[in-house]
Order: sequence, then C-alpha cells, then structure tokens
Amino acid sequence: MDQFLNITLDLLVGFGETLKIFCITLALSLPLGLVIAFGSMSKFKLLSALTRAFVWVIRGTPLMLQLITVYYGPGLVFGQMLLSASAAVYITFTINYACYFSEIYRGGIESIAKGQYEAGQVLGMTRSETFFKVILLQVVKRILAPMSNEIITLVKDTSLARVVTYYELIYFAQRYIKNGGLLWPLFYTAVYYLVFTALLTLLFRWLEKKLDYFKA
Amino acid sequence: MNMLEVKDLRKRFGENEVLKGIDLTLKKGEVLAIIGASGGGKTTLLRCLNFLEKANSGEILVGGKSVYRAVEGEKPVVTAEAQLSFGLVFQQFNLFPQYSVLENLMLAPKLRAKRRTTEGERETVDAIRARAEALLATVGLSEKANAYPCQLSGGQQQRVAIARALMLSPDILCFDEPTSSLDPELTGEVLRVIRSLKSSDRTMIIVTHEMEFARNVADQVIFIADGVIEEQGTPEQVFGNPQKEKTKAFLSAGVEGIR
Repeated sequence: MDQFLNITLDLLVGFGETLKIFCITLALSLPLGLVIAFGSMSKFKLLSALTRAFVWVIRGTPLMLQLITVYYGPGLVFGQMLLSASAAVYITFTINYACYFSEIYRGGIESIAKGQYEAGQVLGMTRSETFFKVILLQVVKRILAPMSNEIITLVKDTSLARVVTYYELIYFAQRYIKNGGLLWPLFYTAVYYLVFTALLTLLFRWLEKKLDYFKA
Repeated sequence: MNMLEVKDLRKRFGENEVLKGIDLTLKKGEVLAIIGASGGGKTTLLRCLNFLEKANSGEILVGGKSVYRAVEGEKPVVTAEAQLSFGLVFQQFNLFPQYSVLENLMLAPKLRAKRRTTEGERETVDAIRARAEALLATVGLSEKANAYPCQLSGGQQQRVAIARALMLSPDILCFDEPTSSLDPELTGEVLRVIRSLKSSDRTMIIVTHEMEFARNVADQVIFIADGVIEEQGTPEQVFGNPQKEKTKAFLSAGVEGIR
C-alpha cells in the first residue's frame, strides 16, 4: 500500500512535467495558429503559398521526427547542441500544434458569412474591429468541437517528448520496469491521462453551453 | 441642393459589365425607389454606393462634395467620410448574432467614439445608449432590447437592422430588398417602419420588388435593366405612364406574377 502511494505521488510529479508541455504548447500555439491562419489566407500569393507549404510539411511529417530534428539537428549540422531538451520540446510542439490549429481557424473563419464583414464595413468599423468584435466569437463557437479533439490529442502526444530525453509521465513509469521490474506503473499512467481528458471534456462541454445563447 | 449625385458609374465583374454608366441625382429628403428584374444591376448599384463594390469608373458626390472618384484602370479615390455618408440595410439583415439587440445598435458607435482622440467630440456610452433606446422605440422594439437576434422574427430582425443603420446617422440610407427574405405576413411591419422614416431631412434609396410600396413612398423611381437606367421619373410617370417597352413589359409581368 505504501508502495502504491509512493508511486502514485512520483507519477504525479511526472504528470506535472507532462502538464508543463501541455500548458506551454497551448498558450503559445493558440495565438500562433491564428497568425499562421492569416498567413495562409493572405492576399499576397507568395506569403500564402509559403505558409501553406510550411503547414503541409509540419502536418505531413511525424511529430516524433520533428522532435528529433529540432533537438539533434543542430548537433549534426554544426557539431554543437543548441537547445535543451525542454526548449526543443516546447518549440516543436508549439509549431506543430499551431499548424493544426491554423487549419481549424481557417475553416472557421472562411465559414462565416460575408454579410457579417459587410455589415461591419457599412457601419464604419475597421477590418480589425470587425474581426475581433464580431467574427472571432462566432468562429470560436464553430470550431469548439474540432479544437477539443486536437487539444485532447495534445494531452497524449506529450508522451513523445521522451524520445529527446524530456522526462514526462511515461518516462517516470518506465523507470520502474528498469529498476525493480515493476510493470503496472506504466499501465497505471492511463488513469492520469483519462482523468485529465475527462476534465477537458467537461470544460469544453461547459464552453459549448456558455456559447449556446446565440446561433452562428 | 443635391444630396446625392452619381455620375457615369460603371462596374464590371471580369468581362461582365453590370453597370453601364449610371447617372442620378437625389435631393435632400427624397426617397428613390429602384426597380428592375433580378440581375439588372440594382443591387450592384447599391453596393457601389456603399463601397462594398468598387466602381471601375465614375464619381459619387454627397452634399456637393466628391466622396468617391474612379477612373478606368486607376486606383479609386475614396474620402475618409465616404463610408459613413451611406447606411445600408441588407436583405439578409446581417445582425451580429452574439450581441443583444441593444448591443447590436451600440457596437459601431461605441467603437467610433473610442477612435476619436479629442475628448470634446467623444460621445459617451450613456449618450449612445439613450440614442439606441430612442431608435428602438422608433422601430417599435423597445421591449426586445435585451433579446438576441435568434429570438426574433425576420421582420423584427430587419427592424433592428434599420435602427442599427440609423445609429450612424448616415446622410443617405439605402435598403437592399429589405423584405425579400421575409415571410409575406412580416413584410408589412418592415415597410411601415421604412415609410415612417420618411422625413424632410432623411434621404433614402430603396431597391425593392414591392411595387405598391415603391409607388406610395417614393418621390422618384428608376427602372434599371441590363445595367442602364431605362426609365426614370415620378411614381406616376413610371408606373402610370411608362414610355419604354422594357418598362411596360416588366411592370405587366409583375402584375401577372401576382395573378
């Protein structure tokens, strides 16, 4: 019993590291995704082509490969590591998720009726006023479901960070296999992920209810 | 004095010339009804007047001052006050769904007040609210101030849209088929509100398929077909004694449509 409690607490520390990836990635990639979305919708053909090509590369290659490239790449090219494991993880996850978010944003933004922009214009509002005061909340309402999918995927993708020696929950649990042959902590980690995704699911359900007062 | 003067306005979409040189003048307080078959250019004209489309060439003057001038092949010149000279009520209302009726009215004036840098001319939120409440009373929707657009009927939404456009006190208020997406039993309330707005200092342009309404409310009627003004005059002239074959055909087709 004592051992169970100790391992639970130890894994909680590991889960804290997992949460760190989750929170930092989300905080940075949510706004960055909007910037990328604007880039891919830009009227400047070159900018939109470059942005779309970038999104294609990021979405078209495994996150694990991107992690390895960002972490070990500089060492292979310049003969010197540039980034700590955690910096490499935060940067890679942020860019990767921003690209996925950007496509969700783009779909949401493009689905808003032209009349909303036109109404803003004829009322003398600037383009950015119209976007931030009128369009954005309607977009948020529409993309809530795909965003919740993506964000829940992020919770579990954090486990990839260990390939570049970032010590997160799965790594913590695997140590018990090496030192002492304990297998169950690895499977026990599922509980942490499940509880956290359950909380996220509830949060998104609450948000959906909160935005239920209008139709868009 | 002429409130509005439009000179040789032309608009093309690719190869398709939709407006082939429109000229018109409108005095202060006049109501102009624009009639014509779908695809004739009525709505494009209204959209050019509100700068939702940029006319390829021509000039728009408000109160004698040029607010828009375009020469074929050059970038059009639009003055800063051009947009707010005109107000537009859309066929599809285009209310902002996430805001209550009152907030829909107040949003643009509030943002505008915020943009003004000098304290003196800045309108306070209280003053804006007072104006919004007064306009809601004008369109008969005071009790819906805190309702959301999705809770209103189409007719009520359109009345809110009219009040919202009036909040910016445009020199010229335009209506783009304001009743075309309404159930027949709801058109009456909207037309009544538009009629009640008629006053000596409110200039209005209404694109409509409601011939009876155009006849009763308008001071001037133009019939547009294939991008040109085919016939122009008082309602009595255009409806009572049309000169052109196209006008006659259009008006009689409308009557037959009702039968």
